[in-house]
Amino acid sequence: MSAESLKVLICDDSMFVRKKLSAVLNKCGVESISEATDGEQAVEMFKKERPDLVLMDIVMPKMTGVEALKAILAEDPKARVVMASSVGTQENLKEAITAGAFDFLQKPISDAQLEMLINKVSR
Amino acid sequence: MFSQFFGNYLLNHGLVTTDQLSDALARQSQTRAKLGVLAINAGYMTPEQVDMVHMQQQKVDKRIGDIAVDMGYMTEAQVNELLKQQGLAHLQLGQVLVDSGYMTNAQFADALFNYKLENSLTDIDFAEKTGNKVNEIVTAFFKLDGLPQQTILTDYVTLLFKNLIRFVGDDFVPLTPDSLPVLHTGRCAYQKTHGALESTIVFDAPDSAYTAFASRFAGETLSDSDEMTDAANGEFLNLHDGLYAVNVSDEYSAIVNIDPQEYGRDITFKGNVRRISLVYPFGTVNFSVIQ
Repeated sequence: MSAESLKVLICDDSMFVRKKLSAVLNKCGVESISEATDGEQAVEMFKKERPDLVLMDIVMPKMTGVEALKAILAEDPKARVVMASSVGTQENLKEAITAGAFDFLQKPISDAQLEMLINKVSR
Repeated sequence: MFSQFFGNYLLNHGLVTTDQLSDALARQSQTRAKLGVLAINAGYMTPEQVDMVHMQQQKVDKRIGDIAVDMGYMTEAQVNELLKQQGLAHLQLGQVLVDSGYMTNAQFADALFNYKLENSLTDIDFAEKTGNKVNEIVTAFFKLDGLPQQTILTDYVTLLFKNLIRFVGDDFVPLTPDSLPVLHTGRCAYQKTHGALESTIVFDAPDSAYTAFASRFAGETLSDSDEMTDAANGEFLNLHDGLYAVNVSDEYSAIVNIDPQEYGRDITFKGNVRRISLVYPFGTVNFSVIQ
């Protein structure tokens, strides 16, 4: 699968983060990018769009990223959800990985980190 | 990190005005400290000797370092050692202040000597970004000594300074902090923290400084009306508070949870407010920890 054909869903309550991640994904060649502003919306969008990759913040209103991760995996156990958070504590990392997260990225996320992730997913 | 506190020292001792400091900060990064300032800082030459060398330079076509060596004030090895220090921020700041006529070489030398003496600092400390000395200075400067959460607050403020330098720029000077019973904000972004640090953290500033800060962090020019302006400032807080939570977890096995960031204007926060104001070339911004 090439980066061009990947469908990526960004879920973050910060417009700033969504815009920045989206710009880097574009640079990596990803053309299909959608955005959710909270966990609830991410779960709904996942059901409709079935993205190949979800970038998920943890601290968000309505439904946290970890709750959304669990709901998405209940829908599709093979879903690739990468947690992207500034709160990369051992507790959060452990909780996310135990719940089935594909990976965990500590913010601020560099362009190179995101590029590596896209390469890994599109292999 | 001490450069920022040294700027505050100059301000508090009436050696420069806020406008002069702000002007110097704006030009600091484009300036390299010259040999005279470096030699005074190292104690190799007195301000009078530096003036003599400058006068001599007007008569002969030679570099300052060569003249200083010719006049027997310094060795070649000392000149070479000093040239490696040209990028030290507090010396760059001093150079701009001297070049602008805001201070003389002698005034700068006295101020730097006294600041180092009062804070038991060496040149090596000035170049360092971490270590116990940073915590000591932060604790003393922000009068955190003896407060119930002294260590937690000191760590919080120290990390804030590092993150400001890392993500926004090192060209700021902190003003003497305020303790207030209530905070009335301008435009602001804020975030609640729970657990080991129960507080509301507020970032506020006049509109132009609020936008300029967001633009620096975002790496693009934003406008006052741009939603991205709030989003960028909120994300700076979120990033800082998140990194702080990681540090607390790693160092003390304690937990700090954070709420999603919020935004507003003209809000009144009640509680024990410790406000830290920072003068950047684009204006003054405030961070408040409310408990």
